[in-house]
Amino acid sequence: MAMFLGCKELSVRFYHRSENVLTQINLAIHKGEKVLVLGPSGSGKSTLISTLAGIIPEHVEAEVNGEVFRRKAVGVMFQDPDSQFCMLHVDEEIAFSLENQSIPRDEMDTIIADLMVKVGLNIDKKTPIEALSGGMKQRLALACLLALEPEVLFFDEPTAQLDPEGREGIFALLRQIGEETNQTMIVVEHVLDGCIEWMDRVIIMNEHGQIMGDGEPAEMLRLFSNQMQEAGIWRPKVYPEKWDDVVRNPSHPLAINLSKKLELKRLEETQYGNNDVVIQTEQVEIGYGKKTIVEDINVTIHKGEWVSIVGQNGSGKSTFLQSLLRLVASQKGNVHIQDVELKKWSERDLYEQAGFVFQNPEWQFITDTVFEEVAFGGRQRNWPEELIQEKTKQLLQEFSLESYHDVHPFTLSLGQKRRLSVATMLWFDQALLLLDEPTFGQDEKTAQELLKRLKERQEQGTTIIMVTHDMDVVDDFSDQVILFHNGRVTYQGTPTGLFSDQTRLHESAIIPPLHYKLMHERKEFISV
Amino acid sequence: MMANQSFLASLNPAIKLLAHFFVMFLLMAISDPMVTFLVWVLSVLIGMILGGWRMIYLLKRLLPYIGFFVLTFWMMAAFGEGDDRIWQWGWFYMTVESMNHGLTIALRMLGFVTYGLLFTSTTDITLFIMSLIHQCKLPPKWAYGLLVGFRFIPLFKSELNQMKIAHRVRGYKQTNRWKAFMRYALPLFTQGIRKSERIAIAMEARGFTGTRDRTYYQTTKIVLKDWMYLFSLLLIVLGIVIFVG
Repeated sequence: MAMFLGCKELSVRFYHRSENVLTQINLAIHKGEKVLVLGPSGSGKSTLISTLAGIIPEHVEAEVNGEVFRRKAVGVMFQDPDSQFCMLHVDEEIAFSLENQSIPRDEMDTIIADLMVKVGLNIDKKTPIEALSGGMKQRLALACLLALEPEVLFFDEPTAQLDPEGREGIFALLRQIGEETNQTMIVVEHVLDGCIEWMDRVIIMNEHGQIMGDGEPAEMLRLFSNQMQEAGIWRPKVYPEKWDDVVRNPSHPLAINLSKKLELKRLEETQYGNNDVVIQTEQVEIGYGKKTIVEDINVTIHKGEWVSIVGQNGSGKSTFLQSLLRLVASQKGNVHIQDVELKKWSERDLYEQAGFVFQNPEWQFITDTVFEEVAFGGRQRNWPEELIQEKTKQLLQEFSLESYHDVHPFTLSLGQKRRLSVATMLWFDQALLLLDEPTFGQDEKTAQELLKRLKERQEQGTTIIMVTHDMDVVDDFSDQVILFHNGRVTYQGTPTGLFSDQTRLHESAIIPPLHYKLMHERKEFISV
Repeated sequence: MMANQSFLASLNPAIKLLAHFFVMFLLMAISDPMVTFLVWVLSVLIGMILGGWRMIYLLKRLLPYIGFFVLTFWMMAAFGEGDDRIWQWGWFYMTVESMNHGLTIALRMLGFVTYGLLFTSTTDITLFIMSLIHQCKLPPKWAYGLLVGFRFIPLFKSELNQMKIAHRVRGYKQTNRWKAFMRYALPLFTQGIRKSERIAIAMEARGFTGTRDRTYYQTTKIVLKDWMYLFSLLLIVLGIVIFVG
């Protein structure tokens, strides 16, 4: 029987590299199968699906050896929602797929309308693409692929750039479409919650581009747990257990664990706000141009606290963070930093007291080497050379970058860039550190490492203010949470307080950490 | 470039552009200030009647050019040559010839701007590109490339803005414009190249070949009213040139 999809003795090498990206891969995928490909970065997961999809060698040049069995009609979804589109409006974008296949014009309108329903895009078809959220963009991308009537769908980290809510939505949609149409799906991901539950098969690759394991998801998870941790894969929190069982059965091991955690959390909970006030805002109003996004912000942040700012996309949390350091002008109100009005701070003094880590680390890099990047603050102020050398070395060591000191910042890996951008903000041992989604898109290992460093800094007295979507980080680290919703600050207090308030969680679409979720669902279960 | 609901917005973009190019060409050939002024007034009238312009919009858009207008006029008029002196003060020396000359150049500039605005304020970019494919026989490969490029502009803008803020926190002082440009350009371009490469792959993976072997969701045609607009505009402008000039 001819193979549906797969390869025999496949090796792939890019012309500018000496080693193979993939070595001796043998793989057979059946029709209708849902396959998850895992592995550390650089293990050739993306190369594997690109080769099976035919992008390599047709559109991206590479040396391909061995036999590849492809399907004619395939669709590939990429991770960056912004770089998959070439048109300006939703309908035009879906039509682009249809036009390429020479579908007659009079059939297009019905197809477009059907596809939009299918992927859950309940918006006007003339909506500009740039106005969509990341999750909506990925829905549109899926509609564009389904328009190709593919026999196989490939996904290259489809949720890497989405917030948890968007991710959950996309995974649920893929699952539903997979079940309805028996579509064959090959997925590369590094977050497993929400997708491993409906996978038939997991393939694990190692850093040499070889297949290390291939089999049932639950078994693979058990056998390769260490390798997955090493590779920085966000392992599932519930799977292979079933969440329903956990909720129903209080003596389920996972249920016991979670209950313990919740108990501990309650005991640990201390009152924050015993130290001096570092930042105080009075009726601050922020917005772009004439439009106000959030009004009447009155928050107090104390020395040495870890404060998380949460809220949906577009709720104004990043803008608020920037306005605290005068990076964007607030429209009204006052900000006091260490009892001095923000307006009265000189630029130089302000940024010696406070650091700001941006979402994209590349925006902040100024010099040509990692060493100079860190040393920049001292050089600007003409510090003595020995002091600069010493301090830079110490910071590079703290962030495990000492072996890269002569490298250009742009050539670092994603995680290293992030660490460097934090290190540059600690030159003056800033008392305040503001971070805009520092763990976004990072793998688990890098994220945990960064959080550990920040925690150490906090213990030394640094105040940390962080915008984040990751509720586990909020729960594990922060003393205070500030929630932005519908143009207001709707909550200010401990994480436990927020996560225990079910109505508030619901209205602001927050998915709480598992132990709180268990608590809420058990209540409902008992009351039913 | 966005379309509004006006009559001009319903015209074929390629023909509209052609018509405006003709007028601009004629403007270059006219050396009489009165004629130039009337041709400019015509563009404003078209904008108000057929282009859906409001007075406020017009003032807002043209105000920056008024300063430019005065400056151009002054440069040409006050240092001109000629015999019929009107006015003299210090080394400023204005004659009838130089004043006419200054008015013509300044009005010509204003006319160019207004006819250009007439096009951009009533044309949808996607339809314009489609019209380039259908009427001007531009290969789809180039046309869709242009569209992608157009999507990049707002993206570039917001990235540049973020980068400037990010540099400020680090205490980066812009010492020299050229250096600052290079500083910002490198990450912007690398990002741009990476993005465009990814878009190109995504487009090809969706079956885009760049050839004419495809159907079109949006087709632009030339209908009677397009020709009517073209010819009536030309006739009126020629009329002004002949009867007034």
